[in-house]
Amino acid sequence: MIQRLLPFLTLALLFVGLSLASPHFLTPTNISAVVRQTAVINIMALGMTMIIIAGGIDLSVGSMLALSGMMGSMAMDRGWPIPAGILIGLATGLACGFANGFISSRLRINPFIVTLGTLGIYRGIALIASSGLPVQALPKGFSFLGEGSLLGVPFVLWVLLLCGVAVHVLLEHTRMGRYAYAIGSNPEAAFYAGIPVAFHTTAVYAVGGLLTGLAAMIECSRLNTGQPTAGQGYELQTIAAVVIGGGSLRGGEGSVIGTLIGAFIMGLLANGSDLLGISPYLQQAIIGAVIILAVLLDEFRKRRTAG
Amino acid sequence: MLLQLQNVQKRFGGVVALRRGDLSVQRGEVHLLLGENGAGKSTLMRIVAGMITADDGEMQWQGRPVRFRAPVEAQRAGIGMVHQESLLAPHFTVAENIFLGREQSNAIGWINRRRGLEQTRRLIEEHRFPLQAEWRVEKLSPAQRQLVEICRAVAHGADLLIFDEPTSALSDAESQEVFRLVRTLRDRGAAIIYITHRMEELRALGDRVTVLRDGETVWTGEMRETSTPDLIRHMVGRSFEAIYNREPVTPGPELLRVDLPGIAFSLRAGEIVGLAGLIGAGRTELCRALFGIDPIKSGRLFVEDREVKIRSPRDAVRAGIALVPEDRQRAGLAASLPIANNMMLASMDRISRFGFVQHSAERALVAAQSERLALKAASPRQLAGRLSGGNQQKVVISKWVVRGARVILFDEPTRGIDIAAKAEVFRLMDELVRSGAAILMVSSELPELLQVADRILVMRAGCIRAELPRHTTQEEILRHAALDSSS
Repeated sequence: MIQRLLPFLTLALLFVGLSLASPHFLTPTNISAVVRQTAVINIMALGMTMIIIAGGIDLSVGSMLALSGMMGSMAMDRGWPIPAGILIGLATGLACGFANGFISSRLRINPFIVTLGTLGIYRGIALIASSGLPVQALPKGFSFLGEGSLLGVPFVLWVLLLCGVAVHVLLEHTRMGRYAYAIGSNPEAAFYAGIPVAFHTTAVYAVGGLLTGLAAMIECSRLNTGQPTAGQGYELQTIAAVVIGGGSLRGGEGSVIGTLIGAFIMGLLANGSDLLGISPYLQQAIIGAVIILAVLLDEFRKRRTAG
Repeated sequence: MLLQLQNVQKRFGGVVALRRGDLSVQRGEVHLLLGENGAGKSTLMRIVAGMITADDGEMQWQGRPVRFRAPVEAQRAGIGMVHQESLLAPHFTVAENIFLGREQSNAIGWINRRRGLEQTRRLIEEHRFPLQAEWRVEKLSPAQRQLVEICRAVAHGADLLIFDEPTSALSDAESQEVFRLVRTLRDRGAAIIYITHRMEELRALGDRVTVLRDGETVWTGEMRETSTPDLIRHMVGRSFEAIYNREPVTPGPELLRVDLPGIAFSLRAGEIVGLAGLIGAGRTELCRALFGIDPIKSGRLFVEDREVKIRSPRDAVRAGIALVPEDRQRAGLAASLPIANNMMLASMDRISRFGFVQHSAERALVAAQSERLALKAASPRQLAGRLSGGNQQKVVISKWVVRGARVILFDEPTRGIDIAAKAEVFRLMDELVRSGAAILMVSSELPELLQVADRILVMRAGCIRAELPRHTTQEEILRHAALDSSS
C-alpha cells in the first residue's frame, strides 16, 4: 500500500523539501510558473497514459506538437481567427494520432517502429511547411491560452483539470476505456472476446493526438511563436511522467492521477534544481535516475505480490 | 538413495507454498509426483533443480547435503529439468538450443557449430528422437518443442531428470513417444521424477509415487500396490466417482449446423459433443474457423437455422458462438485486470449506455456470476492472474455465460488444472447446456470425453471420420483417430 502511494508521497516530500530549502519556491509567481511549464507535458502525458494502458507507445508526440503548433499558428498568421487557428492545431494532432493508430493496428506494425517513423515524418512536414522558419507575430489575444489567468489561477490549470477529468472518465467509466485496459492487458484475449481491437486502438491514439494538438497550441501561446523545432525530447518526458505515475510499458496499467503526479514530480525537480542553482546538465541526469528508480520500485512491488 | 529431501519448507511472502516436503528417489526408478495445483509439486521440483532455494529443511544428493543456489549448480551435479512450458530460444536451431549456455568454444570465444551439430545428431539417433538438429525451433509444434526440452536435459548427462507435465500439450501418439524415452532413460540407470495430472499415465509409467497435498507430503508408496481410487483420495480426500458424473439432457432444437468440406455436423441445445483426434487432426483449426479467427474458404454455417457469415471473432460472438481457447493465459485471460473486468469483457454492450459503463448494473451481474461459479477469490476486484488455474478457467468461461452465448466451443478445457477444478468445469458445462446452450468440447483426454460427452466426433486429417455414441470405448475412438495416420 505504501508503495502504491509512493509517487504521491514523493511529490509531497519534494514540495515540502523545496519550500524549506528555498524561500523563492513557495511564492505565487513561482508556483504558477511551475504549473504553466508543466501544463504542456501534463496534457500530452494524459494522452500517452491512454496509449500506454492500451499496450502502445507514441514516440512521435514531440514532432506532432511541432507540426500541430505550426499549422495552427500559420493559420492565425494568415489572418484566420484565433478559435479557427486553435481548431486547426487540434485537428492536426488528431489526424497525426489517428495515422499512428491506424498504421500500427490495421497494418499491424509495431507502434514503436511506426511512431519512430512518424517522428521523422511529422517533423519533416513541419519544417517543409514553414521552410524552417518560426511564425513570429501571433495575434494579441492568443497569449491568454498559455499565459492568462481565470479566477486567480493560471488558465492552463483549468484546461489541464478539464482534460484530466475527461480522460479519467473516459478510462474508468466508458466502454472505450474498459477496452483500452483489456487490449493492453492481453490483446489476444480482447480479440477473442469479440472486441474490435483495431478500431479502439486507433481511437486511443487519435485522442492522444488531439491532446497533443491542444498542448501544441498552449506551447505556441506561451512562447508567442510557432516553432518547427519545438517539442524535441518531449516524448521522453511524456513517457517518463506516465511511467513514474505507475503506468506499465507492458500495457494494462496506468492512471490519470498517477500520470499527473508523475508530471508534477518532474516539473518540481526541474524547478527546484533551478532555484537551488543545480546545473541544467545535472538536472537531466537526476530526472533520468528518478525514472529508473520509479520503475524499479514498481517492479519490486509486483515481484513481491506475484510470488 | 540418490536424492533425499526432508522437511523442506518454502514461503513466498505471506504464502506458504511448501510446509513439509519429503521425497526420496533412487536410481533406476520412475518416481511419480502427484497432487492438485498448488499442492507444492512445482515448488519442490524448483528447489531440487536450483531455481529457488528452500527456507528450511534438508536436501541430500548422493548422500551429501547440498543446497543449489542456481540451476547451473544443479545441472553440474547431474540434475536436469524438462520444463512444462517451452523455455527455448525460438530463432535458434535444435542443436543450438540443446547447447545453449554450454556452447563449445575455443579460447577467443569462437563457437564450434559443427561439433554441437554432430553431438546433437548422435544424441537424436541414439534415442530415436523424431527431430533434426538443423531445424529452427520456431517452426516446431509444441510437441516437438517438448521433445527438444527432453533432448536438452538428456544431453547434459543427467543422473536425475525431472519431467513437469511433459505430455500436457501432446496427443496420445506423441505421449507414447515420451513414455518410451522415459523408460529407456530409466533402464539405463537414471532416476526420473515425473509430475502429471493424467491418470492413465500413472500405471503406464510409475514405479513409486509420492503425493503432496496443501504443501505437505502425505503419502509415498509402490505404484503397483496402490489403487487409483486410493491415490485420488490421498490427493483430494474425495472419491473418484463423485468427481465425474453427468446425466445427459434430452436435446432441444438445433443451434449450430456446420457444413464444410469433410466436416458436417450439428449441435443441439442441451448437448455436449466431444471432438476427438490426434494432434494435427484439425480439431483446434476447426474451432478457430468456427470462431472466425481463420477464414472459412468454402462451406456454410447455420446458427438456429439462419445462415451466418463469420469473418472475425466479433461476427462469431454476435452470432452467439463463443470459444474457450486452448491456451488460457495467452488468449483467454486478461491477467492484469480484475476478475470483474474479465467477466464483463464480451458483454460491455449489456452494461453501457451511450458508451458509459453503468457500474451498478455491472456490480449486480458480477456478484451473481461469482456466486454461481463458487469462485475462490477475495473479491471481484482481485486480479484474475492471481487465481489458481482452475479458477482462471472458470472466469474465462463466465465471460461467455454473462454474454449468454448459445454455442460454446471448449478447446482442451481441462488442460493443466487439477481434479477438483476439472469437476467444477464439467459442472459448469453441464449447467450451461441445461440452460439451453450447446457445447463442442475438444479434448485429448479420452476418459474425460467419454464421461462428459453425449456423443463423440472423431477427426483425422482435417475431416470428421466417425460419430460415436456416448458409451463407446477409448479403443474405438483411437481406431478411427489413428487409422493410416502413421506418417
